[in-house]
Amino acid sequence: MSHDNPLQHPEVQVASGRGYLLTFLVSTLLMGVALFLVTSHSVAPFGLMLALSLCAGLAVIVQIYFLMHMDLSEAQIWNTFALVLTIPLFILAIGLTAWMFQELYQRTMVMLPGMPGMLH
Amino acid sequence: MSSSTSKAIDPSSVELWDHSHHHHDVLSTRTFGFWLYMLSDAMIFALLFAAWGVLSYSHSFAGGPIPADFVKPGYAFLQTLALFGSVLAYGFTMVALKNGNKAGVISGLWGALILGAAFLALDINDVVHLLDAGITPQRSGGLSAFFILTQTHALHILFGLLWMLVMLVQVSRFGFTTEVVGRMLTLRLFWHFQAVIWVFVFVFVYLRGMLI
Amino acid sequence: MLVDLQGPWSPLLGRLALSQIPYENHILAPLFVVVVILGLAIIAAISYFGKWGYLWREWLTTVDHKKIGIMYILIGLVMLFRGFMDALMIRTQQAMAVGPDAPGYLGALHGYLAPYHFGQIYSAHGVIMILLAATPLLVGIMNVIVPLQIGARDMAYPYLNALGLWVTAAAAALVMVSLFVGDFSHNGWFGIAPIFELSYSPGVGVDYWMWVMQLTALGSTLGSINILATVVKMRAPGMTWLRLPIFTWAAVASNIIALTSFPALTVALALIGFDRYLGTHFFTAGLGGNLMLYTNLFWIWGHPEVYFVILPAFGMISEIIPTFSEKPLFGYVTMVLATFGIAGASWAVWLHHFFTMGAGPAVNSFFSVATMLVGIPTGVKVFNWAFTMYRGRLRFETAMLWAVGAVFLLLLGGLTGMMLAIPAINYMVHNSVFVIAHFHQMLLVIVYAIFGAVTYWWPKVFGFKLNEAWGKAVFWLFTAGSVLVFVPMFTLGFMGMTRRLDYVFNTQWQPLLDIQVLGIAVYSLSVLAFVGMLYVSIRDHAKNQVSVDAWGTARSLEWMTPSPVPFYNFAVVPHINARDEWAWRKEHGFTDLRPDHYEDIHMPKNTGIPLILGALMFLLGFGLTWRIWWLCALSLALIIALVIIRSFDSDTGYTIPADEVERMERGHHERARAVDLPAAGVLGGAIAYGQADPAVKGQGAALGGGMTSPEGSRV
Ligand code: HEM
Ligand SMILES: [Cu+2]
Repeated sequence: MSHDNPLQHPEVQVASGRGYLLTFLVSTLLMGVALFLVTSHSVAPFGLMLALSLCAGLAVIVQIYFLMHMDLSEAQIWNTFALVLTIPLFILAIGLTAWMFQELYQRTMVMLPGMPGMLH
Repeated sequence: MSSSTSKAIDPSSVELWDHSHHHHDVLSTRTFGFWLYMLSDAMIFALLFAAWGVLSYSHSFAGGPIPADFVKPGYAFLQTLALFGSVLAYGFTMVALKNGNKAGVISGLWGALILGAAFLALDINDVVHLLDAGITPQRSGGLSAFFILTQTHALHILFGLLWMLVMLVQVSRFGFTTEVVGRMLTLRLFWHFQAVIWVFVFVFVYLRGMLI
Repeated sequence: MLVDLQGPWSPLLGRLALSQIPYENHILAPLFVVVVILGLAIIAAISYFGKWGYLWREWLTTVDHKKIGIMYILIGLVMLFRGFMDALMIRTQQAMAVGPDAPGYLGALHGYLAPYHFGQIYSAHGVIMILLAATPLLVGIMNVIVPLQIGARDMAYPYLNALGLWVTAAAAALVMVSLFVGDFSHNGWFGIAPIFELSYSPGVGVDYWMWVMQLTALGSTLGSINILATVVKMRAPGMTWLRLPIFTWAAVASNIIALTSFPALTVALALIGFDRYLGTHFFTAGLGGNLMLYTNLFWIWGHPEVYFVILPAFGMISEIIPTFSEKPLFGYVTMVLATFGIAGASWAVWLHHFFTMGAGPAVNSFFSVATMLVGIPTGVKVFNWAFTMYRGRLRFETAMLWAVGAVFLLLLGGLTGMMLAIPAINYMVHNSVFVIAHFHQMLLVIVYAIFGAVTYWWPKVFGFKLNEAWGKAVFWLFTAGSVLVFVPMFTLGFMGMTRRLDYVFNTQWQPLLDIQVLGIAVYSLSVLAFVGMLYVSIRDHAKNQVSVDAWGTARSLEWMTPSPVPFYNFAVVPHINARDEWAWRKEHGFTDLRPDHYEDIHMPKNTGIPLILGALMFLLGFGLTWRIWWLCALSLALIIALVIIRSFDSDTGYTIPADEVERMERGHHERARAVDLPAAGVLGGAIAYGQADPAVKGQGAALGGGMTSPEGSRV
């Protein structure tokens, strides 16, 4: 690979207007659906959480693929690798924290019925 | 591995020194390091979300206002549109860069800058109104977590806008040198990543906050 | 938005006032005088010898990874000494303040340190030892060695490297300033919620602590990005992942931990900052705050951090033991896997620092089991080292003594860690000095490895060896001190002595406390011996010159460079053919280090900007601590402006023409040839092994010939 012209670099060449437009449409749509679900009160709380998480998850996956260009190509593999290595750590940090405090609150706080905490 | 067998090796057949003139790839070295930084930045957000998770039980609001009282989801969706629009504009900037189109890059940057500023203006307006209404980070642990998380994201946006201004100057002054292109690439990582973070902020702070 | 302060505040000086200078303190005031005199003497000496220009050109503005590493190590050593003085005071105070009849001096009721002063000392001791002594020492060694081991000319981002150094220096300066201006936190090194809240700690101590830690977090994050990118992107051709020297592997694992865990520290501290400066309620006792959230966030960083510091130490041990066993490392691949196993597991164990929070049996069991799992990869490592030594040709030179000592300490520290990992035991000994003894064993592993590594790589960096006899004296004195301090400490922990006591109520503990004082006295002797070793070694350096392969049996790439290493590391980048490339080349007789022709070398230019940025960071930290808002605004604005200005400078490198490289290389080779002749006698043993036993053929071989002739070195 010769990079005398930086514009020929694969990370520049990877740009794609269609991909960006698609991401914009899909993620806006998903956020709109999430908004609708919450404001219309049409789903029960547990299902709602699930649906919201699904919307967020899908939007993020689309963005990571089309916007961040995370894939297995030679130019991107290390970035993808680093991301894949750190995602479990995000999950551990948030998940274990949520779990331990949930357990702690159950033992130490008065949990008013009908006022669900965030993480139920 | 090495000391197992010592059968003679023909010195002329081994390559001891590198004369291949391999250039190391300056641009991807740069973006890789920046991406590592972004991941550590993402970890900052992850931990702020963890803090929000712990401090968003009903008792965390100490009897004061809870998000359901003050979050305007439609307004937050407007912010979503502004930010996603800005990200899209930056995407078109990158397409123009790919084609070596300087005017396109400049106008794309302006587009991203204006939409990003719109996002920030919406955010500031929202915060000012909340503060006026006595809904402050000092009111309760839950509100502290709410404000700090959302405003940390806003601070990133401010930083990105400043960066875009610098790039506007550098693109018009230096053109597409390796340094400038490298910075455009890292700014792309930075800016597009803010959209990812915003998805979580919008869904898990604004929308989910309404359910507490 | 800002909180109301108790006490005076002025726009110009913030909370700073003359009364904040502890000039009436019997310890600090004389110390201050000494420091000022010393500082003036150093400045005078530099001016007298006209060395300012040299200092500026060669050190302060350098982007050379080796010099930056050396400066990291210097900061680490200075701070190690400061932390040691703190330890000296903690030990003597506890031994003097036993029982109600213990006399008091210098205004203290018992002993000579009032509780408030004592609290600052142990807090500063912990912060300094972990973040400003161990970390810079390790980062410094990684900085020097990693690029050499992978065949790179410098780090991926030399400028960022210098920035990391000066940010760390700013942190060190800030903690030192807290001695003489204001006071330091008395909340322990990890901070105790909610005591660090403004209402309970109204002074600037906690602010100092917070900003010092923030700066080190920033410095470490920058450093970790650099090392990771260097290893991923800058390896010499042929240096595949499974040929990577084991220390470099350790550096990779360790810096992955740093990169991902330091944000937790940043967040934990930032949230304290919001509480203290804006009046939010993250960690307050009321209004919806949660004290344990702080403890949780802190240890999300804190536990990975302890592995961040110990993995490089494991890497050093893994380099030293093969060299002095004259064998390749046993189980290279399992070693790599174990390193990453430890790094991964270290991310799911942090609650073992607060089992007593009482999150319930399910949570405690999960974290208990996860903690104990760490023992498996750790055990793999210990066995690998043991098997490396098994039937090896062991040479107990100083570096090897440190490495083997570290392995023994690891067993002791690891096993006591396993005990602590059992919640039922933990509820009994949590916050006792048993815990203190446990983690000091672990941190001693690091200290041993660092001393070993300094001894081992010293000749590579400076071109001569440290004095063996003095080095062994340091080792044995240090070891005796460790035994005398920490065996009684384990015992006291079992007897129920809690940590951080400025007054010890139980007079029966007096004898054990006295033994600890004896231990710290022996430690002091080892410090003197260390200084003596440096003095004697530098005095005799002409006699102890070494050529490329100082120990004769080293295996990895860094031993293919001249000693001391030229600033461009490799005149021509080597092509890697094997794991343990240098051992492979010695074995096959490719020890001639002169390539057939030279080429231009591109190097980064020196720059003063990182130094200035570091100074501004210091001012920012100082301004935030004292709430001098104009200073904060000004330094922040300057930092941003400087970063932007620097981004407009595209002229950041220069080229050394090939014939210039050749000329410099010829100088190195001549020096090496001159050194080799006498050195061959000193190290004759290594060569003799190589000749006597065909099984280890070639391992010591290069010494005889060195770089002079490939034929001569084929034994
Ligand atoms: C086999 C590995 C290890 C195990 C099972 C282990 C276990 C533990 C446990 C359970 C505690 C909590 C004790 C308490 O406060 O009640 C602890 C504290 C500690 N450990 Fe370890 N540990 C291990 C390795 C290490 C290493 C490698 C280091 C450092 C290099 C280290 C440094 C510390 C520190 C600094 C603390 C206490 C911090 C404080 O409370 O101030 N540990 N360890
Ligand atoms: Cu731990």
